[in-house]
Amino acid sequence: MQMRASFAKWRSLHLTFNRDADMNFILEGTINGILMGSIYGLTALGLTVIFGVLKVINFAHGSLIMVSMYVAYWAIIFTGVHPYIALIIVVPVMYFFGYYLQDIIIKPIFKAEKDIREPITVIIVTTGVWYILDNLTLLIFGPQYRSIQNNPLRGKMLEFGDMLISVPKLWGFVTAVITAFAIYWFLQKTRTGRAIRATSLDREAASLMGINQFKIYNIAFGIGTAVVGISAVTLVPFYNIFPSVGVLFDIKGFIIVVLGGLGSIGGAILGGIIIGLIESIAPMFMTATWAEAIVYALFLVVLFVKPSGLFGVKYDW
Amino acid sequence: MKVDIRLMGKLTVFFTIFAFVAVLPLLPASAAAENVVKVGNIIPLSGPSASVGQQGKQAREMAVAEINAAGGIKSLGGAKLQMIYADSESKPEKGVAEAERLINTEKVNVLTGCWNSAVTYPTTAVAERYGIPFIVPVSVADKITEQGFKTVFRIAAKDSWWTRDQFAFLKDMEKEFNAPVKKLAFVYENGDWGKGFAEQWKALAKKGGYKVVLDEPYPSTSTDLSPVVQKIRRVKPDVLMLVSNAADAILLTNTLAEYKVKLKAVIASGGGHADPSFLKATGKNARYLFDIVEWETDVNKPGAKEANAKYKAKYGYNLAGEAVDAYLAMYVLKDALERAGSLDPAKIIKALAATNLTSGPGMIVGYDAVEFGKDGQNKHASLVMVQINDLGKGLERITVWPKSARRSGYTPVFPMPNK
Repeated sequence: MQMRASFAKWRSLHLTFNRDADMNFILEGTINGILMGSIYGLTALGLTVIFGVLKVINFAHGSLIMVSMYVAYWAIIFTGVHPYIALIIVVPVMYFFGYYLQDIIIKPIFKAEKDIREPITVIIVTTGVWYILDNLTLLIFGPQYRSIQNNPLRGKMLEFGDMLISVPKLWGFVTAVITAFAIYWFLQKTRTGRAIRATSLDREAASLMGINQFKIYNIAFGIGTAVVGISAVTLVPFYNIFPSVGVLFDIKGFIIVVLGGLGSIGGAILGGIIIGLIESIAPMFMTATWAEAIVYALFLVVLFVKPSGLFGVKYDW
Repeated sequence: MKVDIRLMGKLTVFFTIFAFVAVLPLLPASAAAENVVKVGNIIPLSGPSASVGQQGKQAREMAVAEINAAGGIKSLGGAKLQMIYADSESKPEKGVAEAERLINTEKVNVLTGCWNSAVTYPTTAVAERYGIPFIVPVSVADKITEQGFKTVFRIAAKDSWWTRDQFAFLKDMEKEFNAPVKKLAFVYENGDWGKGFAEQWKALAKKGGYKVVLDEPYPSTSTDLSPVVQKIRRVKPDVLMLVSNAADAILLTNTLAEYKVKLKAVIASGGGHADPSFLKATGKNARYLFDIVEWETDVNKPGAKEANAKYKAKYGYNLAGEAVDAYLAMYVLKDALERAGSLDPAKIIKALAATNLTSGPGMIVGYDAVEFGKDGQNKHASLVMVQINDLGKGLERITVWPKSARRSGYTPVFPMPNK
């Protein structure tokens, strides 16, 4: 009895306070991880949509994020609107950017390699597009780091006692979930969506059914790029914009889509959240450098154990 | 036949060099007769460091023009300084070859250079071999003045003095504002640069009696630094010390403000925090931050403002640390030549070693004197600390330390008020 009492006393003196504080930090870290992770997922969503249909790893993905961020940046700076209203400009601009990028640059090479299921040359072309876009931006806008100082979301935090939650990240989370459901609904329920899925399953058969497969590729590339545009809008309220910003996100994007399963929409968001949680919680127990190593280690483990990804299926859609 | 030609070629080269070396001691008087002092400058005029090399060249030209216009070296009968430039392209082997050429062919009396530490290190060895004085305005690697050479004189502070000065600054601030600091947090990019700084910080913190509550290397490519900021919040340090590249410096500064982390001071290490776009991208979140630099245009030294204005009018941009060191180097050389009164390398070296320059047009640096130690390192060299603050004209970098260089009328804000 006495021992228990003294233990309780000792606990109340030393542990309780620290534990509450720790719980607070872990909860805060978890929430931050989920919010930031869903944004990572959203940046990877466009990659997975494009891969699902074209079976092409788009190495220019990071550059598309970068271009979208610049489009969003200038749209917000020139019009002075709330960052999320810029979606009205960014989404159509990026849709057509992606549509014509595929139509003009990628399609001719695709046609030259149309008998191959996973065209390698196209991957090399996307790498070229990456370099061209990054360097063009560097030439036009210079190496400066830009950020939107006066936007209603910047630096806003929700406060629950000691716990702080970033408002722009919360908006990003909501946007990511809505976007993922919208894409899913579009692919399942609309006529174009079904045509996209049919092309993804079997190009030849889809063509025989009267689907213009190259038109579908254009549309899929456009949709993927438009989703990239949405992710860029979630990033600009709190992130910097510079010519090589895409590189930071596309490495993460590749890990996320492989983790979640290439071509899987839910997998991209969940894969993103897993990465976000590791990045956010692991540094509490080790340095941030090690936390990054864990992300890559997990990536390798998933490749060994389940090469199709955590939520991927053996076959396509 | 082929072999013979090769052999003959080799022999020719050999004899040429032999003849050269043999004749060399016979003609020391000829250079003095022309009444010029030949100064060989090995700097990167093309390649990756070309921009900084150009600034070094411009600053030298400006100083030499001033010295020559004022009557040259009086003790040498008004001898003028004649500048000879050689391009190192930032390549060590090029620097060595150019040093050989300048000494043997151009017969320079003094060498200066080379900015890139990797070039300066082997090139000083050439000068040492020929016994030609070598003035290093700025090349930060410690080892340059740790070779036991008698001919090498470095003006700027060396690498390890950056961290030394950050701690000296902190101690001075504690004393000046009577605000003791106990707990330090080290957050740095996980490359060579950040880790090197952190190593030295840890030793200095131990010596200074500080408690290190956080030692956090992070990847510069991080897309989210709130986990790191949370850690800082959790350990509640008094002072946060940073080494960051540009993107992460901006992200950290903004995230620290978002999470309302309370700190007495943030001390940065140049790099990303000195990037021209840093202030624009962080805005008022960067207010009160301290940063270490080689030189700032507002140092409170006689002549600094005028020299900067003249330089800007001539070349279109402000003087930077490297340019100031090069500018000062010419005045250090002039001072030594005046006292040597001879072009004998040994006498110039002796005069340089006895340098104690405290005033004159060159002394626009943050510290108060140029005096070389036995190793040839300027004992008084130090860096400058600036504080980012808004005095009604937008955010600017204001020199606060050393105290003698502080912008007149400015009192540093320490500890940082709650925002």
